[in-house]
Amino acid sequence: MTESSAAVFEPGAGDPRFWRDGAIATTVFMLLVLLLLTVDSLRVLTEGGGGNVPAYTVINQKITYEFDAASNMDKPVIGEEELLFGHRYSEAEAKAIMDKGKLVIQSRSCINCHAFFGNGAYYAPDLTKAWLDPTWEKMWMPMTQAKTKEEAMVQFLMHPDRYPTWARQMPNLNLSEEEARAVTAYLKWISSVQTNGFPAGFGRREVAR
Amino acid sequence: MNQSKKLGVQYLTASIVMMGALLLFGLLASIFYLKYGFLLGKLDFNIVKQVHINALIIACLWGFMGAIYWFLPDELGIETVGIGLARLLFWVFVAAVAVVVLVFIFVQYGSSDESGMWLVNQGRKYVEAPRWAAIGIVAVFFTLAYNIFASVAKARKVTGIMGVLMTTMVPLIAVYLIAFPAPTNMSVDLYWWWWLVHMWVEATWELIIGCILALALMKLLGTSRKVVEIWLYLEVALVLGTGILGLGHHYFWIGTPQYWLSIGGIFSALEPLPLLGMVVHAIYDAGKHQMKTHNKPAFLWLIAEAFGNFIGAGIWGFMMTLPQINLYSHGTQWTVSHGHFAFYGAYITGIIAVAYMVAQESRGIREVRGNAWKWAFAGLNIGMVGMVGALLVSGMSEAFIGRALGGSTLDGFMASQSNSWFMQGMIARTGFGVIIVASYFILAWDLATLGRRREKPSPALATS
Amino acid sequence: MNPSWLLPTAALLGIYVLCAGCYGMVYALGRLRESRRLMHAAHAFYAVQGLTTLLLVALTPLAWGWKAFLLASFLVYAVIPPLTWRQLERTHALEHES
Ligand code: HEM
Ligand code: HEM
Ligand SMILES: [Fe+2]
Repeated sequence: MTESSAAVFEPGAGDPRFWRDGAIATTVFMLLVLLLLTVDSLRVLTEGGGGNVPAYTVINQKITYEFDAASNMDKPVIGEEELLFGHRYSEAEAKAIMDKGKLVIQSRSCINCHAFFGNGAYYAPDLTKAWLDPTWEKMWMPMTQAKTKEEAMVQFLMHPDRYPTWARQMPNLNLSEEEARAVTAYLKWISSVQTNGFPAGFGRREVAR
Repeated sequence: MNQSKKLGVQYLTASIVMMGALLLFGLLASIFYLKYGFLLGKLDFNIVKQVHINALIIACLWGFMGAIYWFLPDELGIETVGIGLARLLFWVFVAAVAVVVLVFIFVQYGSSDESGMWLVNQGRKYVEAPRWAAIGIVAVFFTLAYNIFASVAKARKVTGIMGVLMTTMVPLIAVYLIAFPAPTNMSVDLYWWWWLVHMWVEATWELIIGCILALALMKLLGTSRKVVEIWLYLEVALVLGTGILGLGHHYFWIGTPQYWLSIGGIFSALEPLPLLGMVVHAIYDAGKHQMKTHNKPAFLWLIAEAFGNFIGAGIWGFMMTLPQINLYSHGTQWTVSHGHFAFYGAYITGIIAVAYMVAQESRGIREVRGNAWKWAFAGLNIGMVGMVGALLVSGMSEAFIGRALGGSTLDGFMASQSNSWFMQGMIARTGFGVIIVASYFILAWDLATLGRRREKPSPALATS
Repeated sequence: MNPSWLLPTAALLGIYVLCAGCYGMVYALGRLRESRRLMHAAHAFYAVQGLTTLLLVALTPLAWGWKAFLLASFLVYAVIPPLTWRQLERTHALEHES
């Protein structure tokens, strides 16, 4: 086996230029493929482009996360109207609040404790589907005495230090009410992104603490 | 010593010092997992961790730049062109990094508008540095590229290694710029951000360290240029052939089309193949040359590089790279385990090897002696393997309990974090971290005093 | 992936590459020392990788595409150490030519 398979290396194998040309050809080919895939991927990733990422105005609607047997993965499902903070956001308003939410997330360095789509840090829970987490209804709404889920989120985000619940605690990051609302809207939107089934079984499984 | 070499020594020294910051902040970050309310509201986990991983990026960049400035005059036979500017920028760079770190620690959070991004913190993993500093880094990269290109032009000598090195300057700068705009849409943001992170660590940097190690091997072992160049080209082909589309292993879950599951899985599963070739190569060289080297620590750190790269990137990466596994392992301490092993194995080891070579040559030491390097070598490697082992235990239990059973909710997360396997892994991680930090101080002391401290002549040398 | 198979599958994948690494390493040592014993040991590691492949294919809930891929890579791993070695000897022979 050793002798015959080494024949692959025969043509000009002792000449660096042969290897150089091979390296260039491989690289150029791979880059071209990557560029093609990138064009297609960006189409799918653009918000409201009909791909996997809904328009920002999706925050006016009900979002759930359900198992889809046909594709064998969990998928977000966009339902009927369900306003956020009792307000129907126009396209421009939705865009503005998302821009703000993203900047709050960056300025407070959220992803150095949490993760989005699993990217970030792992000290605190992943926020991809945080909007859909059953604990908002089960635990935070009673604790914050808020009437709606989004109000509970705002309360928590503004004063996480008032609600210690377990072995780790989120620090108070001095969010204004406007900032907390923007983050809440951002979390609602991001939960609507179709992520090939990540995280799997969210909200449908129970473990004992 | 010529100016370029002096600058090389400065950058490498700065890199080793920065490793100290990397390790201390890592150790500090690990304590947050053990102690409730640790530094809460004073210096939060995110800030500590952010300093930790930024120190890593800077330590690597400084290490590469130090090695490049050091080897450049040897390779081209002339003083590096534009070295005055480069030496000036070194101090600017160091000062800027110091300012950024102080701002991270004391200002911590900016306002949620453009000014916060420009002045305080961009809040994007690995590249948190505020925009003014990011622009400074681009300026430093351009100067580095100018130094290399202009020197090659002046020397009228494009060696194969220089050709590869010059090529890497393009992606080094390009992907950094591409990742700048940070669009509101997180999916698009992450798409480009991964070009930066993955294309740096699994493509561009692999080639830069490849060039550096090629230059090092020629010097350390007297390997011929032709041989080294053939290997370098082969490495380029294999690393980029698998690494460019290996990018797909980060495109499983961010909203990207489903075909990335197959592409990412296949190409990243191929990534260990070139790394295996390097292991074979390292053993070949070790066997044929070991008797000839006068710098055992440099040589052993090079061997550690080949193995560390294979195990950390190859084995640890492969374990979690198939989408069906990654669905659960993604974004847990399992990821952290791989990240530590791979970065350490691929880059930190290589930079330490170069640091030993430079210490030897710049101080005219004939033979590197003493025992300190042995303790540092053993301590760092044992500490690192222990730490990633502990992280793997934590990560696997986290993936199983929090993800597979718990469905990734807050409840699932909490359950995973208080599980006893997880906690024991975290405790062990901090324990090994202490070993690593202690060994680092031995390493730093050894490098600082090599050839400057009084030493008993070794009997072997005395008789020969 | 059903939860109870997650960790065993990952462990098998790790062992799979680990065996490939041991095979390559021991192979290189065997060639270096011209030792038949080591060469046998190298092939034993490769055989264990084969066994791991078999377990991965037969037992785990990985999709069939990945199973085929693992099988194919297993075959490719066989030739990496000899090819690398061969190429190393060829290129190093050049050192003495010039
Ligand atoms: C004393 C030794 C060290 C300790 C205790 C330590 C600890 C930590 C901790 C606690 C984190 C945060 C992980 C999380 O989000 O939960 C982290 C992240 C990280 N560290 Fe370290 N670290 C150490 C050394 C190093 C070294 C030597 C390197 C590089 C060679 C490194 C590279 C990284 C990277 C890349 C991350 C981000 C990983 C990820 O999020 O996947 N660390 N480290
Ligand atoms: C020198 C080479 C490498 C380095 C320095 C490296 C470093 C890293 C780091 C730091 C991360 C965490 C990124 C983050 O979330 O911030 C990561 C993730 C990852 N790496 Fe690597 N890596 C290397 C090679 C490889 C190889 C060869 C493979 C595959 C065989 C691989 C597979 C992965 C996968 C699948 C992830 C995503 C983990 C997740 O889902 O959370 N890496 N790598
Ligand atoms: Fe990667």
